[in-house]
Amino acid sequence: MPYVWDFNFLLQLGPLLLAGLANTAKLWAVALAFGLAIGLVMGIFRSAPSAILRGIGTVYVEAIRNTPGLVQLIWFFYAIPILTGLQSSAWLASAVSLSLYTGAYSAEIYRAGIASVEAGQWEAARALGFGYRDQMRYVVLPQALMRMIPAFGNRAIELAKATTLASTIAFGELLYTAKTIAEDQLRPLETYTAITLIFTAVLLPVSYLCVRLERRVARNNGGAPRD
Amino acid sequence: MPYEWNFAIVLKYLPNLLEGGAHTIALSAASIALATPIGIVMGIIRQQRIPYLAPIAVVYIDFFRTSVALVLICWCYYALPVLIRVNLDTFTAVMIAIGLQASAYMAELVRAGMQSISPGQWEAARALGMPGHTRLRYIILPQAARRMIPLFFLLMVEVVKTTTLAGVVTYPEIVYDAFRVATEIYRPIETFTIVGLICFVFLFTLGRIALYLERRFAVVER
Repeated sequence: MPYVWDFNFLLQLGPLLLAGLANTAKLWAVALAFGLAIGLVMGIFRSAPSAILRGIGTVYVEAIRNTPGLVQLIWFFYAIPILTGLQSSAWLASAVSLSLYTGAYSAEIYRAGIASVEAGQWEAARALGFGYRDQMRYVVLPQALMRMIPAFGNRAIELAKATTLASTIAFGELLYTAKTIAEDQLRPLETYTAITLIFTAVLLPVSYLCVRLERRVARNNGGAPRD
Repeated sequence: MPYEWNFAIVLKYLPNLLEGGAHTIALSAASIALATPIGIVMGIIRQQRIPYLAPIAVVYIDFFRTSVALVLICWCYYALPVLIRVNLDTFTAVMIAIGLQASAYMAELVRAGMQSISPGQWEAARALGMPGHTRLRYIILPQAARRMIPLFFLLMVEVVKTTTLAGVVTYPEIVYDAFRVATEIYRPIETFTIVGLICFVFLFTLGRIALYLERRFAVVER
């Protein structure tokens, strides 16, 4: 006798799934905003003339990129209450750990973007009497940012995937909601299939958009100087 | 009152953590072993635009590339047994999930490697009258492999990081064992700090090997 698929219960539990999706979206948005901000600072550190700043940036990026995201998340979950005295919270731990996670990967995007701006731009800005800060702020970063956009898109996709880690410390995002529903209804096949499809339906179009943007950026300046 | 760190007690349990680490490595190796052949075949099919098969490869690659590892693991462990009516142990379920996802990345890596070989090489091989598979076997793939190997190590880094999710479905890898140790001695931060360090040393080394190979092969190509 073949397995009889039944998705009806999921339609009835739609509001629950939507609440889970909303939590996923909230975590994603907060971690992306903070992650991009942290990444900007650390990316500039990584490109700075000062060896100390470069050292700080390198230690941060290597530490995050060479440890599993799950270990970071659990670490923050236990460390935040002990180190800061704040009450232990799955939301806070997820937001902090995913922000730092995204920060490290986007720092590398900023660094590569800044490095892709040719030396002549820095020199020309200096010749105009700009200090280091103004060279970065008005000449280098505006040109670099355009080239970074597709990479940030991919980062946003990876972050959306990483938000599912929060289910392991019982933050009520989409996967955690699905787990509860699957156990409650004894229908793991339908529930997990639905979650898989929801993620694909959201992330696949975004991924295609990133590929198109990448081609467009490559066409417009090819990462190389134009006369 | 400041927190008093106590790493000494965790170090007593280091053998437990390292045993978990060994399971992590075994699981990673199995996943890579599954991913590599599928990835190479899918990558070649997509890059060569083989009729009928190429669209299937595109759907396969794009689906697994954008799917979420933890969701796939849960699907393979909780849902797949219902579908095929065979109970899978945690190792197999996670290996299938991570292996299939890694095979999509592997396929993209193979495709990018083949794409990076200059058209002159393809044309020269054709001018010599080589048939398709001989061209691939003797001209394109050996050169592409050199560019692919460093990236292959980076893929391994990603796979190892992903296998730490296997604890979620109770496979005793390093994070799962760390939880057991942490509950036993009530020292979660110290335990996970040590686990982080173990992972760092291992993954950092893999990353450096990738970097070294990249430089070495870059010299050969000049």
